[in-house]
Amino acid sequence: MTFLSDEQLRHLQQVTGHDLPEPERYRWIEQLGRGGMGTVHLAEDLPLERQVAIKVLHAHGADAAGTQRLLREARILAGLEHPGIVPIHDVGTLPDGRLFYVMQYVRGQRLDAFFTQEHTLGDRLTVFERICETVAFAHAAGVIHRDLKPANIMLGAFGEVRVLDWGIAKRLAESGDPSGALTTQSSAESEADSPTVTRATAAGTVVGTPGFMAPEQARGDLARVDERSDVFALGGVLYYLLTGRPPLTPEAFETLRAGGPLRIADVRQAAPHVPRALEAICGKALAAEPAGRYRSVAEMRCDVQQFRGGFAVSALREGPLDATARVLWKYRGFVLLVLAYILMRSLLLSWPA
Amino acid sequence: MFRDTDIGGSDGQFPPTQRTLLVLAGSDDPAQRRAAWDRLIAAYWKPVYKYLRLRCGCDNEQAKDLTQAFFARALEKDDLQRYEAGRAAFRTFLRACLDNFWRTQRTAAQRLKRGGGLLRQDFEQAERELTATPGHDDPEALFEQEWRRSLWEVGLQRLRDELRDAGAEAVLAVFEACDLADPNQRPTYAELAARFEIPETQVTNHLARARRRLRALLLGHLRELTGSPEEFADEAARLLGTAR
Amino acid sequence: MSKPLLGLLLGASLGLIDGLSALWDAQTDPEVRAGIVGIVIGSTFKGLVVGLVTGLVAARFNSLPLGLATGIILGGLFAFLVAHMQGKYYLRITLPGAALGAIVGFATQQYGRLATHRQAA
Repeated sequence: MTFLSDEQLRHLQQVTGHDLPEPERYRWIEQLGRGGMGTVHLAEDLPLERQVAIKVLHAHGADAAGTQRLLREARILAGLEHPGIVPIHDVGTLPDGRLFYVMQYVRGQRLDAFFTQEHTLGDRLTVFERICETVAFAHAAGVIHRDLKPANIMLGAFGEVRVLDWGIAKRLAESGDPSGALTTQSSAESEADSPTVTRATAAGTVVGTPGFMAPEQARGDLARVDERSDVFALGGVLYYLLTGRPPLTPEAFETLRAGGPLRIADVRQAAPHVPRALEAICGKALAAEPAGRYRSVAEMRCDVQQFRGGFAVSALREGPLDATARVLWKYRGFVLLVLAYILMRSLLLSWPA
Repeated sequence: MFRDTDIGGSDGQFPPTQRTLLVLAGSDDPAQRRAAWDRLIAAYWKPVYKYLRLRCGCDNEQAKDLTQAFFARALEKDDLQRYEAGRAAFRTFLRACLDNFWRTQRTAAQRLKRGGGLLRQDFEQAERELTATPGHDDPEALFEQEWRRSLWEVGLQRLRDELRDAGAEAVLAVFEACDLADPNQRPTYAELAARFEIPETQVTNHLARARRRLRALLLGHLRELTGSPEEFADEAARLLGTAR
Repeated sequence: MSKPLLGLLLGASLGLIDGLSALWDAQTDPEVRAGIVGIVIGSTFKGLVVGLVTGLVAARFNSLPLGLATGIILGGLFAFLVAHMQGKYYLRITLPGAALGAIVGFATQQYGRLATHRQAA
């Protein structure tokens, strides 16, 4: 008889362990992840012969509030038609009455796995710009994500970027609603390593992920949570892409949550090779006060593009020397060729005819 | 719709009249009784052996003898008749019996009454597995862990037998290559499709079929080993890792 | 700026500057002094032609190595022809000519704007 290791056992439990009746037209294949609100399963769409991901409420959370929450998430997703956001195909109920919704099955790797591989700064910034594009689109549609982090971003084989897990997303038109369904649960599906926090505080409810959470979110100050909270989290994602670590350590997060100051290690302390302009972009996005951050994700993306184009960025006030150095660096190939010409011309002219 | 995948679904109902192995083990019919005991032992000998080795500190030979003696005694004294379904899981009851047995063996310093070849199990294999078996401070957790492993192994063996008998070696091969692979080197569906020269949809079909049958066989086996629908539901959740 | 136009302007400017560098030789060489206007105009025209052709190549092929090679070869060739007409200063004219060609080739490939294709109606 084959001995099963603990890892094998866990895998077998995961792939066979769902206690779900099958909805019509879909067949379960395996469980992909498990979060606070529900589980996500890989399934086959039988008539269309394609694989899909299905998010189902937990049996113990399938009350009216849980159902409303999942339905709201599905509706938010349905309203966000963008290449960077997983399209939703269907909503239905299982034979046991639980709500589920069907979405595209995203293949690829998570951003935190991407970081462990060799990639140039340019590659990382390309990915970051695409994430910004997607979030900016959602903001334009009046939705803030509130749980942006590397584990919620998937990269496809052809460089496509998908922002996942809109489980605690919020429509900007909605009130803070500290007691409301939207803010009382999270639905992070994938992140055993960096769990989404759902914790009641005096002022409201804490939702998000510690390492990337804006101070106003960490303190449960929901009335101040807006696009700039996502800007903070995106600053955290950029910080991660540059240094390989989240901006907030668990201790820093606890301090922040308790009302203490925001403490983030300098980017260049963790990664000395990072250009100052990028450090400044990170710093501006990660400002403690929302007023100190970029007003929008689009503005932040514009600064990243400015940096990549060799132009001045709004986050860094540079002196004449810095500006000259930046321009010389931007046109370094041309400058080198001109210098080579001048040198050659000088040598030839000083040479006796 | 594949109802055999449901815990307690229409095909998974626990018929009130079903005579589980626990009942059959006390049957007056010696053949029936012996067959039931064989299946009970097949499910529990390894957890018992490993528990004696890891928890009670017995050496290899001692644990082997004690495992044999434990089941021989249970068979002889008809210990299972003392089990009351509903009070505790049978697994817990058996572990309590084992603890009791170990205590009497140790304190009374009485000579082991050997099982006399009751068990024809592969103790050497179980011994080799010990190196890969994590220890546990909590005896209940240790016994449960090994019980769970043992049931999955039995289920897996039954799946292999069933698929081979049905001529579905291809299904088995894909399943083994994917779900029993080294977790760090688990192939993707695309890699499996390339390796077995079948479409990717066929890979998922094979996997879905094997997993569904494994689940059904596992739950069928568990149903034999439990005394009540409640116990079955509870133990199934533990076995499948869906317990909350 | 489009690549041919950038090549034309840059080539002409650099050609002019390169031509003006002949003022240095004019101090010691009466022959150069007598023909300095022709040299400057000729050098500017040469730069203009090299720049235009390099720019046209850059507009057709988006390749930095090809741009550099085109600039160096054309710049060097034209400069050699000029030197040949004078019958002296081969090295002094040919080498800087090739270097200016390289600058124009690099600039047209890197900084020139690619023409956008209009969609057919």
